[in-house]
Amino acid sequence: MRALIAAAIGLAAAFALAWLMVLLAPSGGTTSPEPLVTTVPAHP
Amino acid sequence: MRRKSSLVLLALAVFLTALAPLLRWYAFPRLARIPQDEYQTAVLEADDATLLDYTTLKPRRHVKVSIVQTLKGNVEEARKVGKETGRDVVVWDCLSYVAGPEGGMVSQIPERYIFDAHTQEPVHADGEHVDGDPVRRRGVEFKFPFLTEKRDYYYFDAQTRTSAPIHYRGTVRFRGLDVYYFEQTIPWTKVALPKKMPLGATPETVRQVGLERWYSTVRMFWVDPVTGAPVNGEEKHKEEMRWVEEPGKKPLVAFDGHVRMREDSIDHTMALVKSNRILVLILISYLPWTCAGLGAALLALSLVLEARARRAEDPGPADRPTGAPEPATA
Repeated sequence: MRALIAAAIGLAAAFALAWLMVLLAPSGGTTSPEPLVTTVPAHP
Repeated sequence: MRRKSSLVLLALAVFLTALAPLLRWYAFPRLARIPQDEYQTAVLEADDATLLDYTTLKPRRHVKVSIVQTLKGNVEEARKVGKETGRDVVVWDCLSYVAGPEGGMVSQIPERYIFDAHTQEPVHADGEHVDGDPVRRRGVEFKFPFLTEKRDYYYFDAQTRTSAPIHYRGTVRFRGLDVYYFEQTIPWTKVALPKKMPLGATPETVRQVGLERWYSTVRMFWVDPVTGAPVNGEEKHKEEMRWVEEPGKKPLVAFDGHVRMREDSIDHTMALVKSNRILVLILISYLPWTCAGLGAALLALSLVLEARARRAEDPGPADRPTGAPEPATA
């Protein structure tokens, strides 16, 4: 019984971690102020 | 004490073993996405290319013609389309700017590409266009999906405004990476004239002269299969102005050149792809396999500890009190 409880705790923790990773992933940002380029950039 | 340790190890083993497939099949498809605020430029060049001189209406060879491609993520529009469709969406405002040898504009074609940030599937919403013409894409454009497969895809061709198969032709080594080589051939097709052309020419003035634009290309991509990002691209691009009323008259070559990515653009793309592919590989391979291996090791250790604990608790025959009845045997 104790082994089953330990396994269930491990399983729940794995699901919780995977869910948190997805939930806390950064998203969005802001549109770059850089323009759509209409000149040929010099070769560095 | 041993029993307690074995239970803790068992919980950890289950945690790690369960985490391995969760990372690969739950977290990865949700975490791997193209950022909404991407901004990229790439320069392509065609050496010894032919362009139409609009002042004389005669083709002229040039040492170099450049094409500057800009992809700019429009975050506000992506959020708006995301709300409308309920999907995680990326909106790219793109510009293909073709510059002649002196840097003057030959043509420029803007487009808006809207797609699912995770799967790269096109998302159809207001504003999806090429050069102002509404389009409905099928398949991919500019980039392939994460974990690209060895199969043909549909690739959207901005000139014809249609999608056609792009064929997987094999795996090749490119600058230390195993990449998939894809090729698409667009046969001669009548296409729209760009709205912006040199010397103030407009589609209307070109039509008045009695010309229409035809185009064919062979498009080649070398794609990193992990990120789906092309690390190199080339195109054998041809354009002709054909006489509408006189089909027998020799067409005017408007563009003829083998377009290749400039070296610095390849270097920049390679660096970006190499850093991104590590992140993807961590999620789909390194972490899951490490978790699975550690989980199996901890499970074995926990079983060993449990067996030892049971043996220590279970008194052997020598320890049994004398006079106790022997167990019955068959």
